[in-house]
Amino acid sequence: MRIGKATLAAIGMPLLVAVGCASFPDAQSTRGLGEKMLATSYPGMPEPLTRRAVQDRAQQICSKIGGAKLTQEEAAEVVRLSRASIQYPASGKLAGDWKVGAKLAYAGQGSRIIGGRLEKAQENGALCSNCHVLDPREVNAGNIGPALAGYGAQRGDSEAVARLTYERIYNAWTYQPCSNMPRLGAGGHLTPEQIAHVVAYLIDPQSPVNSKK
Amino acid sequence: MPITRVGFATILLACLAAWGAAPAPAQSDDPLGVGRKMLAEDNPGELWVLRGERLFREQRGPKQASLEQCDFGMGSGKLEGAFARLPRYFSDSGKVEDMESRLLKCMAELQGLDRGAIIQTRFSNLDRASDMEALATFVASRSNGMKMDVRLEHPREREMYKAGEYLFFRRTGPTDFACVSCHGEDGKRIRLQDLPNMTERKQIQAVVAGWPAYRGTHSTVRTMQHRLYDCNWQMRLPDLGFTSDVSIALTSYLNYQGNGAVIQVPGVRR
Repeated sequence: MRIGKATLAAIGMPLLVAVGCASFPDAQSTRGLGEKMLATSYPGMPEPLTRRAVQDRAQQICSKIGGAKLTQEEAAEVVRLSRASIQYPASGKLAGDWKVGAKLAYAGQGSRIIGGRLEKAQENGALCSNCHVLDPREVNAGNIGPALAGYGAQRGDSEAVARLTYERIYNAWTYQPCSNMPRLGAGGHLTPEQIAHVVAYLIDPQSPVNSKK
Repeated sequence: MPITRVGFATILLACLAAWGAAPAPAQSDDPLGVGRKMLAEDNPGELWVLRGERLFREQRGPKQASLEQCDFGMGSGKLEGAFARLPRYFSDSGKVEDMESRLLKCMAELQGLDRGAIIQTRFSNLDRASDMEALATFVASRSNGMKMDVRLEHPREREMYKAGEYLFFRRTGPTDFACVSCHGEDGKRIRLQDLPNMTERKQIQAVVAGWPAYRGTHSTVRTMQHRLYDCNWQMRLPDLGFTSDVSIALTSYLNYQGNGAVIQVPGVRR
């Protein structure tokens, strides 16, 4: 029997690949290596700060390499964890003052660490405009997330819209597991009251986000 | 007279070359591009190369030695093409190291300078320059015109690369960010700042072949170590250790994927 070039290649390629890949650490040992490196890569930092580099369960699930898809079980687990994390303002009011929300939405400061200390800031900004268009007249806005100009004009300002908006900001992964958006309430970056102000900024008919001009 | 095939090819090549070399017209939808181009034409970073070379050859520190015997992987004192191969494994330390890590080692061991003090001044600020920034710029510039050529030959190098990949996609901290959160798609911006897509070879190449870079907003040259430190800071993580394993793993991961890019440093960045 004649063995064609194609057959040889078919046998040879997997062999070459197997030999080549065998020398790279597998996923399990790679994870071990990476985690070990993290433990030594923040020297001199106080423990409450280095703890930030420790993943919670949802973050672990959401760290797929190279765009690999979540399994259905993983997505369900992230949704379940996210849903369970949500807390509401003590007042029960899910939409606060849109004018306070406007300031928060464009504020990018807070919670950064420099020289082992937290930056001095009165309060954490909500970081919204880093990634989203909000007020359509403001050009200084990012595009990592969808544009939200007209958010309330399109959806209205009902209790249901306020609740959905609040929950999506408090923990974005409740509705879109592992989306790029930070879990701003669940991660402790914003308080429930701050989130309610941002909700108002998004849905209030008076808010520039919903201005007709 | 008919144009011969060779003649046609020559014309085509000449046209392509001209197209490649022609200054990009300032697009009305990219007003920032105008400023970037002006900076690139008159790169202040060249001053860091000059200062770095002087520091490199000067006899300094308690041991009154220059850095001319420092080994960046091509043998003691050999700088040409050394940056193109970094990070790489060094048998004298038993570790994978990048350019700044080797500079740190040589300044401490050859010159007897205090390691802690070097780390303290690893990045400049408005009040004081950083020798490290100047030295790194000089050393990297000795690979200008050469192609990035990181090899994963040693098992430790392959471990660093894979760990870097793991870390690139690892989400953590109060913002839930991984590198890929901001650097995973084309055409993305944080506010008005363009973000390179570091999952796409061409864009990775443009990044790794252009650091250290003069940063207009910082009025100084910054190194890849600083670039990673700065991202890490925006992610709300603690100060990333200078030449830490995490920084070298990410650099290995990115530089290897940038192989083939023609090095031209210092670059110019916002």
